[in-house]
Amino acid sequence: MTESTNTKRSKYLNPYLGGVLLGLVLLAANFIAGRGLGASGAIKSGVVTVVTAVNPHAGETSGFIREYQGAHGGSPMKSWLVFEMLGVLVGGFLSGALAGRLKFKVEHSPKITSARRLIFALSGGILFGFGSQLGRGCTSGSALSGMAVLSLGGFITMMAIFGTAFALAYFLRKNWI
Amino acid sequence: MKPRLVLAAFIIPLGLIIAAVPQNTTRPYKLTATELLDEVNTRTQFVTPETVADMIIKKDPTLQLIDVRSQDEFEKFSLPGAINLPLTDLLSDQYTELFDQDVKMNVFYSNSTLMANEAWMLTRQLGYENNYVLEGGLNYWFEAILNPQQPASTSADEEFARYDFRKSAGRALGGEATAVQSTDGSVAPAAKPAIQAKPKKKKAAGGC
Amino acid sequence: MGPLAVNEIISENTNFFLAFIIGIGFGFVLESSGFSSSRKLAGVFYGYDMVVLKVFFTGAITAMLGLLFFSLFGWVDMDLVYVNPTFLTSAIIGGVIMGVGFIMGGYCPGTSFCGASIGKIDALLFIVGLFIGVSVFGAGYNWWDELYLSGFLGSPKVSESLGLSDGVFALILIVVALVMFWAAEWAEKKFPRQEY
Repeated sequence: MTESTNTKRSKYLNPYLGGVLLGLVLLAANFIAGRGLGASGAIKSGVVTVVTAVNPHAGETSGFIREYQGAHGGSPMKSWLVFEMLGVLVGGFLSGALAGRLKFKVEHSPKITSARRLIFALSGGILFGFGSQLGRGCTSGSALSGMAVLSLGGFITMMAIFGTAFALAYFLRKNWI
Repeated sequence: MKPRLVLAAFIIPLGLIIAAVPQNTTRPYKLTATELLDEVNTRTQFVTPETVADMIIKKDPTLQLIDVRSQDEFEKFSLPGAINLPLTDLLSDQYTELFDQDVKMNVFYSNSTLMANEAWMLTRQLGYENNYVLEGGLNYWFEAILNPQQPASTSADEEFARYDFRKSAGRALGGEATAVQSTDGSVAPAAKPAIQAKPKKKKAAGGC
Repeated sequence: MGPLAVNEIISENTNFFLAFIIGIGFGFVLESSGFSSSRKLAGVFYGYDMVVLKVFFTGAITAMLGLLFFSLFGWVDMDLVYVNPTFLTSAIIGGVIMGVGFIMGGYCPGTSFCGASIGKIDALLFIVGLFIGVSVFGAGYNWWDELYLSGFLGSPKVSESLGLSDGVFALILIVVALVMFWAAEWAEKKFPRQEY
């Protein structure tokens, strides 16, 4: 294992430069659309689409669906976040392609198995999905975008997410280091 | 090492500048003179005394009456639920919250409409919506609500309806112990003015 | 002038198209910074890779300064920009649950899409998990809707709650972030790291 503190050799962008670029993208979003970035909302749109496709009257029994439909007219997939996340897929793919990082793989620490990693990924996703609805946003929507507009709720959610993850990091260290 | 220093060299001065700039300068007058004149010409800021009387009787929580006269005059007589905010104190910081919201309908009133209009103009220029002026002021209020003129027998039904409403409103607001005569929705004059004449710019939904 | 869509300077469809373009920018920057790798993302919790902290705070500060200056020049009306509302209880509990999900899964929704876009199967499973989690929330909504709606404080800004002006708060945040950046560089030297 070589200590790599020379960022020039890294094939990734310098993190500070990346941060500035990210900030500019976020600024553009606020300037153009009057809102920040986000991600979990797109998942919500997806879920609502599937549920209402199977049961068009779901809104009558489910407060969750009803609340969503109240805030968004028309097709549930026609939402800002859905378009944005589609762009994320394209952008991520382009960046990966340019850097030669495209590869199907399960990324995991050599000390654990692929299967273990996948189980944790799935469970982590389930918890995060649930939490993002309760917290009205994820790290992109609540924490990052919230901080940019100085939202108190955004800051609180961010501290809760990172604080909890830090607190539990020790117990899950085998998965990562 | 270097990128960090470059970053710091940029954001520290920017931060110092933005911290030094007083917040008020980031909220300039929101309306152009033309826009304001348009609104004045279409008289969107006026609210009829019937509407206000109706809201008072129904104890509508979205109504906030603001008396812009001096404290003495306020103490002599004021409308139910009104607060006293003399015109001279209009721009003081403690009242910004009163204007900077979109839940309550603030209705300025004074004896005529002169001072109330001035209050409206100032707050409207600062970009606050939901502020209105009581049409005719207290002078008209006394005439119309508390002492309504009986319409001539040849007047339209609408006039009679309005008269009935004003009579009962006057009774209710004049402090008599009688129950308000039932004025169902059809008797009261047309619906409350929509809180905004122009479609309000809705904030984008966000989060997630 | 701004926000363009709210002031109806651009149409709703243009807004959606631009959302797509912004998304491309978002995904590109995230992936280029290494956020498509769960091991890099988790590094911030162990000290071996502080990219999350550096990118996150630099990004937030850049956008924050950008918005404050745009507002100063009158290019954007901050009253029309969405400020996340504060529902105290659900913000904290949701954040805690997300924190567990983060350290377990090593992704968050945005980064998982990045990871999936370059072929990471663990990212894909994370996304599947997201769908399940959201569905569970929706299905059982009636059980926790009270929790979800409690503690509403409006949409206060942190600067307001602390009684500071936006600009002063931004400066404080900048100083705090710079301190953290120096601490991050120290942490990365101290803890061994590989390039993932």
